[in-house]
Amino acid sequence: MSLLQRIKNKVRARSIHVAYVDVGSCNGCDIEVLACLAPRYDIEQYGIYVHNNPREADVLLVIGAYTPGWEEKLAMVWEKIPSPKAAIAIGNCPISGCLFNRRETFIDPPVRKHIPIAAEVPGCPPRPTEILQAILSVRDSVFFNWEAEHP
Amino acid sequence: MASSLFWYVREFFRAEWIRKFLFARTAPLVTPPHFRGFPEPTGRTCQHALFCMMACPAPGAIEVVHAGDGWMPKIHKGHCIRCGLCVEACPNGVLKSGRILETMEREGTSLIFSFRIAIDLELCTGCGNCCTACPVNKEADAQMGAGGHSSNDEVIMRVQDGDIVVIHEDKCTGCKTCEASCPNGAIRIARILEGSQEPVPEGVQ
Ligand code: SF4
Ligand code: SF4
Ligand code: SF4
Repeated sequence: MSLLQRIKNKVRARSIHVAYVDVGSCNGCDIEVLACLAPRYDIEQYGIYVHNNPREADVLLVIGAYTPGWEEKLAMVWEKIPSPKAAIAIGNCPISGCLFNRRETFIDPPVRKHIPIAAEVPGCPPRPTEILQAILSVRDSVFFNWEAEHP
Repeated sequence: MASSLFWYVREFFRAEWIRKFLFARTAPLVTPPHFRGFPEPTGRTCQHALFCMMACPAPGAIEVVHAGDGWMPKIHKGHCIRCGLCVEACPNGVLKSGRILETMEREGTSLIFSFRIAIDLELCTGCGNCCTACPVNKEADAQMGAGGHSSNDEVIMRVQDGDIVVIHEDKCTGCKTCEASCPNGAIRIARILEGSQEPVPEGVQ
């Protein structure tokens, strides 16, 4: 492994920038993501920073069951993120539609149909610890040695 | 000035501070055992009462499937909302989650089920599919034919003069087989869950 790659790995492991996008949730999961920022879980001590700007982000947190208003828009947000990047589905909604997945609703889950999803965090809502663990595991599996593996 | 700088630097470079600055970690990422997780088996035998499936509010979250010689509830992550109702509903204590079972025992709580059958007569064509699909009807009147006609008064519902008539709503077990068999979506089963609690004995809190 080259020295440059080693430095990049080191730096990236402590500098993950996150944007989150709500594609039609009940707000439960948004509140849990918010709890990650609060002192109790303190997401920044792991070197994870929340920006909410896709052009600055490495990780996109997708929350919600994909309502019709998000067709095309979510893919647009995803394309704006520079590589290396990863999307994480937070909560049951982007995985299965959760309680909203019933007859005569307009949602279109799973979100993995629309953009590539690197990790899914089940739960309604998932706990902040589970969200943090997912971001950390994606960091290790997606960003480590990225240049070496994508020449 | 020099001495205040000295004090300042001395304060700032305390070994304790430097250690905290470099290695500080708040609470580790662990979930306390009393938190409600996804329900897990306790090891008791599932009697196929299906109460868990009836109580579950999340579509597709729980299924009772064949496991070896018997049955076992299977929780689907990504659908389950960890509400714990299946744990409370099971009469045999097959599932556990957090301290629900202990709390139920301590407080003497239980769940009572009943079901209402709602048929939209505007949509219903009187085809009788629901009557023949219903497993309770099958038990009560094995002779029931394709049209859902029956001379037996023990069935839940039957077709009389081209119209569906519900006779024994109280016998419904809430399986929703009829909902799935109706071509027009005319029949709906509403589940009514009542929580009950035994009176607290005198002298106890
Ligand atoms: S998974 Fe549950 S808490 Fe999260 S957005 Fe969906 S319904 Fe709300
Ligand atoms: S915990 Fe709740 S949502 Fe999950 S399987 Fe049991 S009843 Fe269904
Ligand atoms: S829910 Fe099941 S038991 Fe009840 S009426 Fe329908 S088929 Fe029969």
